[in-house]
Amino acid sequence: MAVSQQKLKQPACKDGVSNYLWSDAPDETKWADCVHCGMCLESCPTYEQTGQEQHSPRGRVYLIKSVAEGKLTVNEEFMDPVFACLDCRACTTACPADVDVGGLIEEARGQVRQAIPLKGWKKSVNKLFLHGIFPHENRLQTLGGLLKFYQKSGMQTLVRKTKLIQIMPKHLVDMEAVMPNIHSSVKKKHRNGSVIKAKKESKREVAMLTGCVMDVMFSDVNESTINVLTHNGNDVHIPQNQTCCGALHVHAGDRDMGRKLAKQNILAFENDETVIVNAAGCGCMMKEYGELFKDEPEWREKAEALADKVEDISKFLYDTGYEKPTASLNKRITYHDACHLAHGQGVREEPRDLLLNIPGVEMVHMPNADRCCGSAGIYNITNPEMAGAVLESKMENVPDDVEMISMGNPGCMLQMAIGVKKHGRSQKIVHTVQLLDWAYQKESRG
Amino acid sequence: MKKKKLKTNDRHIHGLSQLLNDKQAILYHKEDLISYDCDGFTIHKSLPRAVVFPHSTEEVARIVKYCHDHALPFLARGAGTGLSGGAIPLNNEVIISLVKMKRLIDIDLDNRRAVVEPGYVNLKLTNQIIERGYYYAPDPSSQYCCTIGGNVAENAGGAHCLKYGVTTNHILGLELVLPNGEIVEIGGNGVLDEPGYDLLGLITGSEGTLGIVTKIIVRILKNPEGKQTVLAYFDDIEDGSQAVSDIISAGIVPAALEMMDKTAIEGVEAASFPVGHPKDIAAVLLIEVDGIAAGIDDQIEQILSVCRNRNVREVRAAKNEQERAAWWANRKTGFGAMGAISPDYLVQDGVIPRSKLPEVLRRINKISEEYGLRIANIFHAGDGNLHPLVLFDARIPGETEKALAAGSACLKVCADVGGTITGEHGVGIEKREEMRFVFTDEEIAAQTDIRSVFNTDNLLNAGKLFPSPSRCAEVKKEMKEKIIG
Repeated sequence: MAVSQQKLKQPACKDGVSNYLWSDAPDETKWADCVHCGMCLESCPTYEQTGQEQHSPRGRVYLIKSVAEGKLTVNEEFMDPVFACLDCRACTTACPADVDVGGLIEEARGQVRQAIPLKGWKKSVNKLFLHGIFPHENRLQTLGGLLKFYQKSGMQTLVRKTKLIQIMPKHLVDMEAVMPNIHSSVKKKHRNGSVIKAKKESKREVAMLTGCVMDVMFSDVNESTINVLTHNGNDVHIPQNQTCCGALHVHAGDRDMGRKLAKQNILAFENDETVIVNAAGCGCMMKEYGELFKDEPEWREKAEALADKVEDISKFLYDTGYEKPTASLNKRITYHDACHLAHGQGVREEPRDLLLNIPGVEMVHMPNADRCCGSAGIYNITNPEMAGAVLESKMENVPDDVEMISMGNPGCMLQMAIGVKKHGRSQKIVHTVQLLDWAYQKESRG
Repeated sequence: MKKKKLKTNDRHIHGLSQLLNDKQAILYHKEDLISYDCDGFTIHKSLPRAVVFPHSTEEVARIVKYCHDHALPFLARGAGTGLSGGAIPLNNEVIISLVKMKRLIDIDLDNRRAVVEPGYVNLKLTNQIIERGYYYAPDPSSQYCCTIGGNVAENAGGAHCLKYGVTTNHILGLELVLPNGEIVEIGGNGVLDEPGYDLLGLITGSEGTLGIVTKIIVRILKNPEGKQTVLAYFDDIEDGSQAVSDIISAGIVPAALEMMDKTAIEGVEAASFPVGHPKDIAAVLLIEVDGIAAGIDDQIEQILSVCRNRNVREVRAAKNEQERAAWWANRKTGFGAMGAISPDYLVQDGVIPRSKLPEVLRRINKISEEYGLRIANIFHAGDGNLHPLVLFDARIPGETEKALAAGSACLKVCADVGGTITGEHGVGIEKREEMRFVFTDEEIAAQTDIRSVFNTDNLLNAGKLFPSPSRCAEVKKEMKEKIIG
């Protein structure tokens, strides 16, 4: 790739000792706020597991700073803590000085990926999903189709029964076991690009990000999102040239691909006033697009303009007002805060409010509800051991006596489903808008 | 985290690894060690030889014995939030990290005590027992993440120590690995005044120089029946200081009585937990009373009227628990919040007689002007424990030295007015030389004699707590110049 040859010698540090050799290096102003107080330590799931300073937010910031100060180089030992971070942003919530640890980690990953290109199976996984599938709508649809065929044709049963499945790595087996039923893509369904009209009187028009994984694995959540939006007087526009948000690429250090996808989305949503997102990770990424364009002021401006328009579905409904359902669901529910909703976007109360306003819903408190579940994009594929340990801690906090666990992110939905399955629990994993949609549906059925 | 063979020629790394049940529980690569080169005190830095993570007292004892037998310097570390550099490996020590020993071993409500391992986080204990009506009183601001083992080493205090006492008042027993690897138990019967010397008192606050604590029996208290917090804004810091004295003189013993000055308020309001303190006030007081519910309202009334008599701009009680919690979160993250207004800070920890507060604040203000560095003041005003935060930028050559000198000058003021140089953060590296403000050479020698009874070869955490004798005369001269000049 051309990128790896562009050794733009742009030291991040004023005195020129920095060992970051590429542009878009970790930003000094981000770590200058860290005074090493340690208030972040206990918020960090990887520190909880390892007890090791370099696997804590404070330690990671210190390492990132040490490279800029020329004390360390970008090597395998530096890579380990930087890539073991879940990017859950819990430290950003805990930090008294608002240090943007997540931003630093992502910038550092960009440097690592250029200095030490991926090898072996991690390279294959990254290449296959991040370059080969997620950014390409057709391939995503094909994958969805294949998965649907796999489920419907009896092949899934066959594979499971013949134990053929055991040739896959353990964590992929876990994931296969909880794969949701694949429905048809929402984006494809509304291919003609026309606007889906509000059910009653129209108050405004909003655009919707359909997402990549969401629209394949959880297109029923996308359906529910449309139903809930149109139920509340919103016309829904689904721009056809939108693409994957790029969060997974940026988490993986592939910032160039992240920028490419960001630009496509910036253009796709240019004429929309509000962009509704139902995946916490995507919403958070889109709100941070500006970070990707430090060296491209024009794009930065456009990115920031888009960021202002992006809104999580639960917050949007809460802020603009929504019709409280009258039909009763009679369910005991607990709520899991997706990291990129709670820590990334500060959305905590809005989804809970939505749930509490559904008649018959009894909310049961989950201790440490805003603790990461270990999904973290494709972290559970690339770091299965740590992701598994983090999931174990999460499951210990899920109350026994609930029927459903509600949340606002597809990655969490898969990971929590694995947790439920592993622990022999019976909880159904649902997206917050699905519950609201079901209540509306029940209402209309009378 | 991955299972790897040890890649090092250092035979002691191999030797130490052999002592651990988990052979991987040792760090020795530079990249892994660099974040252990300092703790919450970032001015001195030094790399350790290795970091080991024992899971049991026996493992600690084996490691200590190995270090002792091979004359390797070593020290213990908890969460590394200490503010005086007690866990900094000045002599390339082997760091024994106790964070993996984080079990809550026992809760004994009948006898109001709990048994914890040293790596157990302070706040977790209260969180575990609060619903049953109990809590652990010492509450350093870092309680979200600091360990009880570290609290014992530093004899940590906190906002609520005004009424309830510091860590030493809450320790009933300890298990300790002595610097030769021997395991001993002290106290533990829950008897407050055991016959013989008060060894618990000696160990608590010994800053990790006498042994490594591996198990702690702490006292737990019943939740107070009622609790209320008052916030008061003053336009004049002297009025605020006088109000502090008046409250105590009125016979009220608040659970906490905290003060922040204008610069500190600027910091906390610019950081992550702002509560809307006005930017133009000179001081904010946070006053909490607790106890039997029936008396609380009267005490609050009394506090409100004391504040009004001292020209308070605004004074009111918290509307609800949410507001109370927000005020405390704002206060307790105060040190870290300085990051929002300054790249570095040095926090000092002087103690003064309460009545001297206005005078000391005036003199600190003067020091700030003299050195050209901003100083924010956050303090436990009720017990006269001051935390001047010297704000500086380590990237500017000479500024670190200036900050150290300004900090030292603040402590000199505290000592001069009849106070002392540390209330709760410990001496560590930071205040070694300032020990001379309050102790003579003979007094210091008497204390190092006690140290050598336990720590004969001085392999455990050497170079902390006391000034080095060889540099005595030289240092004195230097200090004198620093303060006068």
